[in-house]
Amino acid sequence: MNIRSHRNFIVLALLPALLIYALFVFVPVIWSAYYGFFNWSGIGEAKFIGVKNYIEILQDPVFWRSLKNNFIFVLAAVFGQVPIALVLAVLLHKSNMIQRFLRSAIFLPMVLSTVVIGMIWQYIYHPQIGILNFLLESLGLESWKLQWLSDNKIAIYSLLPPLIWSFVGLYLIIFISALQNIPGEVHDAAKIDGASGLRKLVSISIPMIWGTIQVAIILCISGSLKSFDLVYIMTKGGPAHATELLATYMYNSTFTSYRYGFGSAISTTIVVISLLLIGTSQWLTSRRGKK
Amino acid sequence: MLSIRKIRSSIFWAILIGYGIVTIYPFFWLIISAFKTNEDFYSRPFGLPMNWQWENFTRAWESAKLGTAFMNSLIVSLGSLAVTLFIAALASFVLARFQFRMKGMIMAFFVVGMLIPIHSTLVPLFILMKQIKLLNTYWALILPYTAFALPTAIFVLSAYLMSIPKDIEEASFIDGTGVWGLFLKVILPMSLPALSTVTILSFLHSWNDFSFALVFISKTSLKTLPLGIANFADGYQTDYGLTLAGMTISVIPTVIMYLIFQEQVMKGMTAGAVKG
Repeated sequence: MNIRSHRNFIVLALLPALLIYALFVFVPVIWSAYYGFFNWSGIGEAKFIGVKNYIEILQDPVFWRSLKNNFIFVLAAVFGQVPIALVLAVLLHKSNMIQRFLRSAIFLPMVLSTVVIGMIWQYIYHPQIGILNFLLESLGLESWKLQWLSDNKIAIYSLLPPLIWSFVGLYLIIFISALQNIPGEVHDAAKIDGASGLRKLVSISIPMIWGTIQVAIILCISGSLKSFDLVYIMTKGGPAHATELLATYMYNSTFTSYRYGFGSAISTTIVVISLLLIGTSQWLTSRRGKK
Repeated sequence: MLSIRKIRSSIFWAILIGYGIVTIYPFFWLIISAFKTNEDFYSRPFGLPMNWQWENFTRAWESAKLGTAFMNSLIVSLGSLAVTLFIAALASFVLARFQFRMKGMIMAFFVVGMLIPIHSTLVPLFILMKQIKLLNTYWALILPYTAFALPTAIFVLSAYLMSIPKDIEEASFIDGTGVWGLFLKVILPMSLPALSTVTILSFLHSWNDFSFALVFISKTSLKTLPLGIANFADGYQTDYGLTLAGMTISVIPTVIMYLIFQEQVMKGMTAGAVKG
């Protein structure tokens, strides 16, 4: 279309989206890097202290603990959600009644608020009234009963089943639609060559949807770094920071200890770490894909 | 040969049905437990309720002020949805159908937004909201929900709009329609499938959000559903039937919506994810 006659329209049409997006997503990220240089309690004067906050973060054992926990989440997502979803997708990509029903069931947690998911699992894990310990007891496995969320050695691992449970549906649907896009002839040719089910999966289906798997891995990483609600509801980062994530560490520093500058510095660290992780994963998976 | 196949297919089904049960059971448990008295809840956690306590639901509705929370969630979700749809459609229309300098840059600017973790903006947004006096207003949620919905919305919409043939515009210009007319009368109706995808994605996102509401809203009368439920559970920790009834009520709308629009929800998620 002719540009000159529509110039005003172009500017006018882009402006609202650009303004809202810049003001509420982009500027805050820049700002928090800037606030990170200040010592500020939220009220009164902010004092410039240079890179002190950033140095303190790097020396804070809680930060390293949070980072490690975030990595555990990322690993659980990449090596838990993706393979489970892939296997389920292969089993469920045809459309009979039972398969459709299971598909919908597995996807259902995706439409619920993380608050509700966290609360349901909190009840499942409850040491006295929780159905998990009750189940173990009725199976005669009393010695397996644990304080799932308040034992600081296992609490972080107790958070993984709800994490995996709630997101498998998303990857399942993504993989199913990718599998359905593989042309039928490819499978026919493989059948003539005598390839078995597993063989077909490893040498045909997986390579053919590798691009989709890559996207899923990026989603896993950014999704796991975003997990805040689940942990905030279930453990608030405790006991004794055992389940602290970068996001809860940021939240607690800012809104519990009222250290706005320090919290902003953590926010900046989160952005840097997630961009680094996504970059690395892109690099790793695209190399593997070329082989 | 046949028997191996049989064994294999029964293993498949065992895995599937096992996973299916693991997925469904927590929902089933939530719903049946919502009808229980405390004693029933303690003594028979797996059983059906001895007598069905329907009044758990009416009591939860009243004591958790779920009516107010519902209204608040509805206002902020529909509010941000309306703004998102309109401005994202306008921007996508321009980005998909016009040629101009900076186009690539603007597109990239929006796409980067999909990689920014929401929580890293909480502190600065809180400070910003405080300064422009938006804390504890509906706008404190509507604006950030819109801002974070925009990248995906623009991505899905502009990809869809690029696939519409060029002749459409020429035809409507010859008929004497202006750009606004083209946008409102031709492009908007044509992009209904993409718009409904965006609708579902953004609605679910703002309806279920917890963190923004937690930080930006402290007034009881403005609390949204997830926030209201979380606070209620903290306050009534020992009345389990009541808390679970509250949770059950809060999931009913999205579950019903999901059951009705299932195909569309799944398509929407895939579109949002694959393109994202």
